[in-house]
Amino acid sequence: MYNNALNLLSILILISSFVLIANKRQNSYISTFRFQSLLLASISLLVSIRGMLVHKKFDEVFIIFLLIVLFKVILIPMVLKRTSQKVEYTVEKDFFINIPISMLICGGLVVLSWYVIYSIEGITNLDTKNYLIYSMSVVMIGLFFMISRKKAIGQIVGFLVIENGMFLAAMLTTEGMPMFVEFGLFFDLLTAFLIMGIFVFKINDTFESIDINKLKNLKG
Amino acid sequence: MITSILKLIVQIIIILLIAPIFTGVIKVLKAKAQHKIGPSIFQPYYNLIKLFKKDLVVSNTSSWIYNVAPYIYFVTSLTALLCLPLVNQLVGFTFYTDLLIIVYLFVAGRVFMALAGLDTGSAFGGMGSSREMLVSALAEPALFIIIITVSARTDIASTNVSSIYNYMVNHTELAFTPINLLLFVSMLMVLIAESSRIPVDDPSTHLELTMVHEAMVLEYSGRHLAFIELGTHIKQLVFMTFMANILIPVGFNVANIFLGFGIYLLKIFVITILVALVELNTVKLRLYSIPNFAAIAFIVSVLGFLTSFILK
Repeated sequence: MYNNALNLLSILILISSFVLIANKRQNSYISTFRFQSLLLASISLLVSIRGMLVHKKFDEVFIIFLLIVLFKVILIPMVLKRTSQKVEYTVEKDFFINIPISMLICGGLVVLSWYVIYSIEGITNLDTKNYLIYSMSVVMIGLFFMISRKKAIGQIVGFLVIENGMFLAAMLTTEGMPMFVEFGLFFDLLTAFLIMGIFVFKINDTFESIDINKLKNLKG
Repeated sequence: MITSILKLIVQIIIILLIAPIFTGVIKVLKAKAQHKIGPSIFQPYYNLIKLFKKDLVVSNTSSWIYNVAPYIYFVTSLTALLCLPLVNQLVGFTFYTDLLIIVYLFVAGRVFMALAGLDTGSAFGGMGSSREMLVSALAEPALFIIIITVSARTDIASTNVSSIYNYMVNHTELAFTPINLLLFVSMLMVLIAESSRIPVDDPSTHLELTMVHEAMVLEYSGRHLAFIELGTHIKQLVFMTFMANILIPVGFNVANIFLGFGIYLLKIFVITILVALVELNTVKLRLYSIPNFAAIAFIVSVLGFLTSFILK
């Protein structure tokens, strides 16, 4: 039952990253990212509740759950939305490769990670294999999202999705890493996010657009 | 023999009675969500009765295809639904059929509708036919992969409905596996595309930019139109029955026929609510965005196919 629920949630995360690839507009990236983080939060809630029931003591993963809800579900999407409202954009088409082909490429990425994980010897648990495939595909799709979008905000969302995928792998294969590692990850994420957010404004100031294609232009 | 024919007749009557109500339910749910009063749930029945009473208007330039197409469309949809098990006891002629037949029955009906749309020579009909063929051609790969995945999971890996049915009756715990979830999502998108629901086609307007299915049947009136509408309601129910009985086989093995029928109606109702939610939260896509929609459905079904190798 528990494994089934985790399986369902992890596959929903995979589907949500496919939805992210199919999105066209910046606001829908952000809400899809929020949905994905909500799914990640529910996975950590499940893991923590099970840990509490099995070991009969307070599980640290619960704090991770609260942190995910606070940062990834509420704070970061809110700030991103505010940023995208402040930064004007005029280019309608935001991607280099059109959507059906990028969907096919992402399907290929899932097959690739399936192949890679299957050729690793030593993973005996079928469910672990499955979780690893999903989380690795989410990481790959996040990378692909980063290289296929023109706008700086799309790239921030791609970075956050990569982070989500790594978190998913850590959560599902180890049932919660040590607290310090998790805090370090969160701190890293927040710093990177803040720097990127400032950079978006800087790019917008200098080039009057956040289209990163224009970064090639020389500016005196 | 006699009992199976009797069962078939009972099943046809049940299908004809319940098929239009789900379209009505979707309309009511949408109206309630927008704080409108909305029509009654039985509005599709009133429409059908009104259309059956009206006279036919047939163009002088049309050929026999125009007259025969609505009946072929209706009969192929009904036969497709009879290929799927409705309730444990009422299995129609599922013991002789194959899942792929459902796809080809739809193709047969659709070909005749497209020909009939071209037949009268009006500009709208031809446009609607070409659009409808585009949408169906895009939705078909996903449907095929769903069917193949479902059949590959049975013990003898056959697309025969009876073997799938026997497997599902004994394995109700399969309902909540990731494979079924992926197939369910993909099938929901195929359902939306094939039964002309909102992200793909807007069934309630007659605007030339957005019409797909409506443009094709624009010339029809009276009894012919009633048969086409009934066929569309039944076609929608085919996909919903596939989702309810083959992808979520919970409560399918109940021995009591009335209880089983109640569970079936409940599952179909949940799927109806999902479709209504999708309609509420999306807008009509441009015609050139429909390939993106179909690509998502296809990729999700391919993922389900792959996952069926990992999780046996």
